[in-house]
Amino acid sequence: MDQFIQLTVDGLTLGSVYALIALGYTLVYGVLKLLNFAHGDVFMVGTFAGFGVLQLLGGPASPDVPIWLVIILVTLSAMAVCAALGVVIERFAYRPLRDAPRIAPLISALGVSFFLANSMQLLFGAAPRNYDLFQYHSGTLYLRGLHIGGVTVPLLRIITIVAAFVLMVILWFLVNKTRTGKAMRATSFDREAAAMMGIDIDRVIVFTFVLGSALAGAAGVMFSLRVPTNVSIGFIAGLKGFIAAVIGGIGSIPGAMVGGLILGFLESYIQGYVHGAHIPDGTQWSDLYVFSVLIALMLFRHQGLFGRPDIRKV
Amino acid sequence: MKKAFVLALAVLVTSVVAASAQGSQTAAARSLAGFNCKKTITLPFVTPLTGGAGFLGAEQLSWAKYAVKTLAPGLGLKVKLVGGDTPSEQGPAPAQTLAQKYIGDPSVLAVLGPSTSGGVAASTKAYYAAKLAHISPSATRTSLTKSTGGTQYTGSPAFFRDVPGDYIQGPSDANFMVTNLHVKKVVVMDFQEPYSLGLASVVEATLKAKGVSTSHLSAPNTTTDYSAYVTKVPSDADIVFFPTQKPGDAQTFAQQLIEQGKKAKVFGGDGSDNAAQFKQSGSYVSNFAPDITGIPADAKLIAGWKKDNPGKAVGSFGPPSYGAAQIAMTAISRACKAGGGSTTRQAVFRTFKKVSIKNWILGGSFKWSTKSNDPLNAKFYIFQIQSNGSYKLVG
Repeated sequence: MDQFIQLTVDGLTLGSVYALIALGYTLVYGVLKLLNFAHGDVFMVGTFAGFGVLQLLGGPASPDVPIWLVIILVTLSAMAVCAALGVVIERFAYRPLRDAPRIAPLISALGVSFFLANSMQLLFGAAPRNYDLFQYHSGTLYLRGLHIGGVTVPLLRIITIVAAFVLMVILWFLVNKTRTGKAMRATSFDREAAAMMGIDIDRVIVFTFVLGSALAGAAGVMFSLRVPTNVSIGFIAGLKGFIAAVIGGIGSIPGAMVGGLILGFLESYIQGYVHGAHIPDGTQWSDLYVFSVLIALMLFRHQGLFGRPDIRKV
Repeated sequence: MKKAFVLALAVLVTSVVAASAQGSQTAAARSLAGFNCKKTITLPFVTPLTGGAGFLGAEQLSWAKYAVKTLAPGLGLKVKLVGGDTPSEQGPAPAQTLAQKYIGDPSVLAVLGPSTSGGVAASTKAYYAAKLAHISPSATRTSLTKSTGGTQYTGSPAFFRDVPGDYIQGPSDANFMVTNLHVKKVVVMDFQEPYSLGLASVVEATLKAKGVSTSHLSAPNTTTDYSAYVTKVPSDADIVFFPTQKPGDAQTFAQQLIEQGKKAKVFGGDGSDNAAQFKQSGSYVSNFAPDITGIPADAKLIAGWKKDNPGKAVGSFGPPSYGAAQIAMTAISRACKAGGGSTTRQAVFRTFKKVSIKNWILGGSFKWSTKSNDPLNAKFYIFQIQSNGSYKLVG
């Protein structure tokens, strides 16, 4: 039972981060029908921005302000940096290609991805950055927390999970309960019709990038609170986020949330439970199992769990 | 249609055979082509400069650069050091591509690297065909220089290394665990790439032979969060042998062990030796090089390197790279002298094994083993990480 609880907590932590990344993909795809492959590298920039702010605040061992404030400031700063980066990327890499064939912005997105990874290495070097919050009060954030059965759910994981869910709720509110959110939904449904109704499409698209990139920044911090980062981390993180978005049905906000969690739980349970003398071990071959399940899922539900079937009027 | 297909296939096969024959002739011809030693020699360093292990390559390159700057003029050479990037995430393929590039460049008389064992295994046959010697300061897989215990020789006579191989590291680590730490249960991990697979298998075999209970976990090289693996570590395990090339991951694993209340300590190989990134108190690290800051004869050299690399700390991957560059340039210089001002790749290759260095950067002197292209009497050093993050020599 303890192992199950531990793996569930692991899956929830991983899945929360995947979900935040997936939301960025799904928001942009929903509005622009663009697969923003630079999104993983925006996440990476977020991890570095958070690291920089953490150092400015005195480092993890003896921060100048209370630790809860450190985590909030680090997260907000990373979100702000990534939001600004999202605006720049949209303005210079995607907007000029908005009416070009769909392959052009896709290539541009890949170009931005490499540009960001290489620029970051040029500016900050290839050395990994570790937030190393273990240094804070001799590992308090790792050792204290919620006791469930024989398992301690450390404070750091609780912070990650709660923060991710709070951000998802805020996003849901923004998209469903505000005027701008309504404009986003309208643009996503039919861009031309939305423009004819007086919606400022450029503004909506910029806002979408701000929102998606800010979530990537938050995901970057949530990820790096526990794991070191480096300039090439964006590729794998972006890939996982993209897959989570596809599982949920790309373009669907609840889908991205659920897709992220499914991916996190699948990885965790497969690594923890799949082993035996006659089958490939789950720790070694987790990707094989996870992606086999996902292929099967796609075969039975092409549009993902929450996606709408692509019905065209002929 | 069938005839056309057979004809096309025949033409294709003939072309490939002809091209490969032409290629090997060209490589052989290049190995004998004379090179005027007054010209600038290109000395490539094949190492990860980007990606997760990029920081290691950067450290290695900075020391090789310092060796070129300080030693080349005294050896009568004009040397241009160039970096060849082999990101560890891309596997051995970039090392193969770079080998072809350097073989095709007549100003290359020797090559530093590849830094990784996988890169060496993938490219050394091509270097040998061109009689182009290459020396690695960090590729430690045993089979690259010899075949032992049923393992197949995957190297070539053109490959040299100035650090000892895993045939010393693996047993050293395992023996230390048994003799000094009195371990009963050890979890051995690998990361599904050549470096860790080789080292893990040697350590596991040695431990088993000594009656220690072992279990094995294998994680993809792209893993960042090890929580699920930590869950599988038995609560009574004494050590987790963690031969990663990403020291930050060793730190994460050690912290996640504590997070889950496991008593096991992390024992890293040479790839995790980095005091800035792996600093969890109580953990162990083994490495092929001592901490050279404790060698009085290196004080001037270290000061010079630090002047060129302000703010950088002396790690353990850099100094053997300085040594590798020193060996390569010494071999080129001697071959040039023997050839009266000109030389060939083949002459440099033959001279490599004759090089010995009196004041070796890693302490004492450097000589080659007569049995393989490994250093003579080399050993591995084992450190324990202290509460202040410093590495204390314990074995």
